[in-house]
Amino acid sequence: METISDILKSERQQAWRDELRKSMKAKERTSIPRVKMPEQDPHVRNKNHSEVNLGLTDEMAIKEAQRCLDCVDPTCITGCPVGINIPKFIKRIEQGEFLESAKTLKETNALPAVCGRVCPQEVQCEANCFYVQKLKKDPVAIGFLERFAADYERNSGNISVPGVDNKNGIKVAVIGSGPAGLAVAGDMIKWGYDVTVFEALHEIGGVLKYGIPEFRLPNEIVDVEIDNLKQMGVKFETNFIVGTTATVDDLRKEGFEAFFVGSGAGLPKFMNIPGENYRRIFSSNEYLTRVNLMNAANPDYDTPVFSGKNVAVIGGGNTAMDSVRTSKRLGADRSMIIYRRSIEEMPARVEEVKHAQEEGVEFMNLNSPVEYFADEKGNVNKMLVQKMELGEPDSSGRRRPVPLEGSEYEVKVDTVVVAIGVSPNPLIPASMPELEVTDWGTIKVDKDTMQSSVEGIFAGGDIVRGGATVILAMGDGRKAAKGMHEYLKSKVGKK
Amino acid sequence: MADLTTKYLGLSLSNPIIIGSSGLCASVDNILDLEKAGAGAVILKSLFEEQIMMEVDASLREAYRNDMIYSAKSESLDYIDLHIRERTLSAYIELIKEAKKRLMIPLIASINCVSSAEWTNYANRLEEAGADALELNIAILPTDENTGADKIEKVYFDIIEKILSKVKIPVAVKMSPCFTNLAQMVKRLSATGINGIVMFNRFYTPDFDINNFSEKSSNTFSAPSESGNVRRWIGIMSSRVDCDLAASTGVHSSEDMIKQLLAGARAVQVVSAIYKNGKEHIQEMLGGLHRWMNEKGYNTIEQFRGKLSQDKNENPSAYERIQFMKYFSEIK
Repeated sequence: METISDILKSERQQAWRDELRKSMKAKERTSIPRVKMPEQDPHVRNKNHSEVNLGLTDEMAIKEAQRCLDCVDPTCITGCPVGINIPKFIKRIEQGEFLESAKTLKETNALPAVCGRVCPQEVQCEANCFYVQKLKKDPVAIGFLERFAADYERNSGNISVPGVDNKNGIKVAVIGSGPAGLAVAGDMIKWGYDVTVFEALHEIGGVLKYGIPEFRLPNEIVDVEIDNLKQMGVKFETNFIVGTTATVDDLRKEGFEAFFVGSGAGLPKFMNIPGENYRRIFSSNEYLTRVNLMNAANPDYDTPVFSGKNVAVIGGGNTAMDSVRTSKRLGADRSMIIYRRSIEEMPARVEEVKHAQEEGVEFMNLNSPVEYFADEKGNVNKMLVQKMELGEPDSSGRRRPVPLEGSEYEVKVDTVVVAIGVSPNPLIPASMPELEVTDWGTIKVDKDTMQSSVEGIFAGGDIVRGGATVILAMGDGRKAAKGMHEYLKSKVGKK
Repeated sequence: MADLTTKYLGLSLSNPIIIGSSGLCASVDNILDLEKAGAGAVILKSLFEEQIMMEVDASLREAYRNDMIYSAKSESLDYIDLHIRERTLSAYIELIKEAKKRLMIPLIASINCVSSAEWTNYANRLEEAGADALELNIAILPTDENTGADKIEKVYFDIIEKILSKVKIPVAVKMSPCFTNLAQMVKRLSATGINGIVMFNRFYTPDFDINNFSEKSSNTFSAPSESGNVRRWIGIMSSRVDCDLAASTGVHSSEDMIKQLLAGARAVQVVSAIYKNGKEHIQEMLGGLHRWMNEKGYNTIEQFRGKLSQDKNENPSAYERIQFMKYFSEIK
């Protein structure tokens, strides 16, 4: 049987790849410096919601693609949760065949324009690039190139719609339209299934829409990718809460034979410190959802969000960076990140931290809030912050934050956003007691098939991982689609 | 019939036996059984700062081994210690709420803390859940050669100050006997505004398995012989402090209990004896106290409590004697 590795090798041996490799010496390729992504000026962009990164030009993309050595053993692919054929799509760019490049991306990734923007490439594909591993140089800008190819295709008007198999008439339900759900839908529709995605909110896209701000991932980009799925035949039902509007059993009666639960992790977590219930202390979920999805940045709307002047965001992840940069765009004079470890330990993407710093966000690392205070109306007006130091490493190897006794000091704030993680959405597990969950409320699944403890119910993304990246969720979705496909094939075979 | 009631931390107890903080008081059913068996009050199993940190480490190890739990980029994982603490605390609060719905005797919550960090912020949540009082089990083993005694002692006062500013329910401190000037420390602690001091903490002591060259735990249960030092200090301090005293460690029989009451304790904490003899042992101890009071003609505990404390003792110097003079030099 032909393995993935065999396929990659045979594709690499194709004449056009061989020719391209020979067109330039390896030394010439490695001497090209990594491309710099054109960006909006920090002092301009921190006052608008338009995308920060402007994208590579054709010339820049080709030059960057030339850096790729088209390795015999492309280690970069091992770092990609959805297994994109990275050298192939990059070599198509070098060749100038941008539409072909986009087509390659879509073979394994339903949302390339999204992933090119929000994946933490520095710890995935780019971390495994030959330049990093062997040459100790900056990696090929795989993420930038992915974005370039996907954007080129979109802007060209020649958006390729992947082909689909003949309809087999088997109905499958996808619960949640976030990245995991969209990945399942993309694969299942290709294999001929009748796919319906049920979304609780009024907009399709899940965390891609409500969680990630326009300046990082414009909703329009997500919509184009969703439209692609629609063209392939995927049906979407919005304002439909599985577990409330209809249960899984109700849907079974309607003929759905397999389910994918990708309902995400929408329950915010708090620190549970005194005063955390005061007004204008938001969870990052609420803050970002209101701005991203409900137009709360517009004071003329019904539910505008308060535009604080002194905003503290608690946490050091991507959600914290999104929140603090949003506050800057809403007009804050002082936008602060309050993080209890140092910048090196932050889980946020390196690029997000860099962008936040450039935009004037103040990083108060090694600090943690201990109490909030409010004015007579109950609006938060100051916080007590304690300094921390890094102690002994914990079992993950990261140094533990240790409070410095007596170091507390006050910080004036009028808005606080707490971004310290989320819990899985409990609705589906609560409506299905037979579904096994972990102590954390995440659904237990088989790691290979993503099938839950209930036959025919698969799960992936944040509802399984408790909080992951877009690409990991998509990887889960693709794995679950394969598991579901095998399950349905064997089920049909038994009939 | 003798009246066995006593007052401890301002709470009315039907008798002086308090079931100390332990696994005995870790579930509502067990607590109800202890009440049925005759306990005067119960102290819930401690919320251990150290235990939570161990759980954090275990969760982190599991998360890094199995990324199906948490991915390394997850903000939840970044704050997992807070989330585990919250989960543990929520379970504890539920225990208090459930127990309070069905329990008649006082329920005392217990926190085992080694620092005055954000941990103390949780005290008012225990109060809101319905705990009748709070016992602070402050256990600091001074192993850092660079930290002076004054700094370690200050941690006690910092914790107390923070807790007292957070809660209105009575607060007791369970302390260690290891202080250079224990009398002064007890006196100073009693003047902070706390309602009681529990003498003393019984520390886990590591032992060695000499065959396997490994560490093992030593005696898990206390022995009656360990109660002597507690008795001494309750006897010395009971008339000097501004709060109640309770005896803990080595109280296994009615006789042990009576001795502590004579020294001046308002109540005793019992754990090992219940583990060894079962919950029925509470009735045996109460029966013994009852019989002794009848024999001696006491109707209430207050009539004899503190009768042998240092200030009322005919031989007060005995409390301060630390050598066995009679045995070693024939001087009585």
